[in-house]
Amino acid sequence: MFPAYAGADSYPHISIAKGGLEEATKAAVSTLGGMKVFVSQGDKVVIKPNMSFAHPPERATNTHPEVVRALSEMCIEAGAASVMVLDNPLQGAELCLERSGIQEACRLVPQTSVHAFSSSRFFREVRLDQGKNMRQASVMQDVLEADVLIAAPVAKSHSATGVSLSMKGMMGLIRDRGIMHRRYNLSSAIVDLCTLLRADLTVIDATRVLSSHGPYGPGEVISARTIIASRDMVAADAKTVEMFPWYGRDIRPDQVAHIREAHERGLGRMDLENLETRTVTA
Amino acid sequence: MSFRTIIRFLSLGFFIFLLWMTTFPLKGWFPVDFFLRLDPLIFLGTVISSRQLITALIPGLLILLLTLVLGRFFCGYICPMGITLDVTDKVFGPGKNNNTKLSAQKHAVMRNIKYLVLLFILGTCLLGISSVFLASPLSLVTRFYGLVLYPGLVFMGEGFLTLVMPLSSALGVSFLTYAELEPYRFATQWFILLFFAAVFALAYYSPRFWCRYLCPSGALMALFSRNPVVGRKVSEACTDCSICQKKCPMDAIDSDPTRTSHHECIACETCVRVCPEQAVNFGIGEKKSGRVTGYLPARRQVLASLAAGAGSALLIQTGISSVKSEFIPGNILPSSLIRPPGALPEESFLGRCIRCGQCMKVCPTNTLQPVWLDGGLGGIFSPKVLPRRGPCDPLCNACGMVCPSGALRSLPLAEKMWAKIGTSYIIPFKCLAWEWKRECLVCYEVCPYAALELKRVDGNPVPVPYVIHHKCSGCGACEYHCPVQAGSAIVVEPMESLRMSKGSYIDKGRAIGLDLEADPDRQRRPPGHLFDGDDPGDLPPGFSS
Repeated sequence: MFPAYAGADSYPHISIAKGGLEEATKAAVSTLGGMKVFVSQGDKVVIKPNMSFAHPPERATNTHPEVVRALSEMCIEAGAASVMVLDNPLQGAELCLERSGIQEACRLVPQTSVHAFSSSRFFREVRLDQGKNMRQASVMQDVLEADVLIAAPVAKSHSATGVSLSMKGMMGLIRDRGIMHRRYNLSSAIVDLCTLLRADLTVIDATRVLSSHGPYGPGEVISARTIIASRDMVAADAKTVEMFPWYGRDIRPDQVAHIREAHERGLGRMDLENLETRTVTA
Repeated sequence: MSFRTIIRFLSLGFFIFLLWMTTFPLKGWFPVDFFLRLDPLIFLGTVISSRQLITALIPGLLILLLTLVLGRFFCGYICPMGITLDVTDKVFGPGKNNNTKLSAQKHAVMRNIKYLVLLFILGTCLLGISSVFLASPLSLVTRFYGLVLYPGLVFMGEGFLTLVMPLSSALGVSFLTYAELEPYRFATQWFILLFFAAVFALAYYSPRFWCRYLCPSGALMALFSRNPVVGRKVSEACTDCSICQKKCPMDAIDSDPTRTSHHECIACETCVRVCPEQAVNFGIGEKKSGRVTGYLPARRQVLASLAAGAGSALLIQTGISSVKSEFIPGNILPSSLIRPPGALPEESFLGRCIRCGQCMKVCPTNTLQPVWLDGGLGGIFSPKVLPRRGPCDPLCNACGMVCPSGALRSLPLAEKMWAKIGTSYIIPFKCLAWEWKRECLVCYEVCPYAALELKRVDGNPVPVPYVIHHKCSGCGACEYHCPVQAGSAIVVEPMESLRMSKGSYIDKGRAIGLDLEADPDRQRRPPGHLFDGDDPGDLPPGFSS
């Protein structure tokens, strides 16, 4: 039922690293075996952060630029031919690239480019064969062509789906998000989308957690200096839900509808008690 | 290339450059409305209709005074409309050897039309309705370049980028592959285009038909250039060959080629260049002998034109679409007519707005659109906010900065955020949360003023949005982002908009209980009202058991 790697080697399911931005990001990935486990020589890599808001890092609505930079550096060191940092922004593309700080942070990383776009020519209509309700989506061409997809969301609350983590973040790789609200049950459609857009590696930026009034804020920002990584999007999201208070309250992963449904449909695991978690301090 | 050609194309180039620079964020090193401020009709008409001396428009007065000295040099050298027509005349014009298809008599009659157009416009201005936009060449040409040519070019640019994308991405030319042009779209562009097509096509009858017969700014300058200090002079060497008369694009030379209609002459010096005897020059000195007294409309026509203008203005003001005022009982305010932030009270606004389209060209979200008849006949081409197309960005105040006439006030950003343009309301039976019980709440997410609040209502598993009216600026982010199709489930109307001729929006807003700071670091209301912290079964928004 679950992916074959589960428990198959000495690496944990979930790694948690605490410390500085860059150090924690690198430590979290190396605890899972290092970037070479995910990226092979010559691979095209797409990183999907949150950079859809024209907000500075302290708002915690976007992924921290240092986290994105550390990830792209690791990919290049692991031999990636190119790294593209992509998002379909909610506000003006240029402002998002600028104010999020992500474009500037990645400027000097070789073979790395940061783009925010929404023009239809960048998207291609594809079928979601495993989708239950939503059976098609217009997905970024570059994502479809990529060898490796890395989800790098910031940890934040979300008024409609409870939290917005790696699975919810995949909505930033398609063109028409409105239809997911309008035609389908949003949480269920997120799972449908993740049957196709299934990240090879999930690195959740919980260095700052927007624990209320997400996704736009302003809300309560918890300084947590934590990075959570996993091969399993559902497990990473579930662990993040469990680790932090949301609106000041403890929440179980199964109280997030899309995490619960993804687990039930075998997309990943939220049964944290059965998963190995390793915590390191960077 | 002659001196005149260079000046003309520098002028047109500078005009286009400034229009291109009319973009957010504004650079601010040079007033992008420079050309609009040179139009004498925009000065005179707007001063009359607004009953105020608008200092920003004084350059138009200076041009008029310079005309006393230099004649209608503006038409020949500076006016981008005239230069544009020089170009299109090459396509639509009557051909090389045929200066005009109109007889001398017809010409003599028709060249008075421009005075009548001028008088009609001034007639409407006398009654406080500005129709300057109908025929001011700078207003027209700015609108044409900004709202028709510019979006057309952007559209073609996007098409080009799409076309070369397979190639550019194969070659790895990343900056070309990922270039994305902002797609601008405007209402009423067909009406603007048809007007210009007609003006261009009139060249079939004569070159510069518009300038000769119709242009009210030209008429205004003609009144000041009946005997300019610098003008056309013909020496004894003239052999009466009349080549100059045939080639004159303005038909300003009499059948006796030594005689000049200075008020028609645009000092283009074509006559100087074509004269085989080099008998013509422009200079200072005695020209009176060679002067044609020119033809002015009869008193009856003057009065009739003024009266027609004033009468039209009167009719507009008595129309049902006319704005609410003290004189008009009832409460008619078009629900879709959301004016940009800083717009003067509607009547003053319409008196000042010259419909040049600069505010629409500069608007980064393309929300500003020319209206057609939403605001009555007097409102044609004036700007409105169309939230479904884009929201009004709280951090942008460019429209007021580029408005040449002050119809939109130029506001500092802090003031602009308080310049409320309307109030949004929710249509519950369209709302995904209210009616369909779906987790949506996009409006709540995107509101930059935190003017939406979530509440629990009985029988609904998802929290539903409410508008906090005193926090709503009417920016339209909610309406723009609402995923409900066709009409949005949350709609902005110009209700409670602040329309002030002077004074501080912040002071006024505070005084009437508004709270409009789009401060990104401001905290929202504590979430206590959303769920019961002590009841483990009552979960925060988005979570379910």
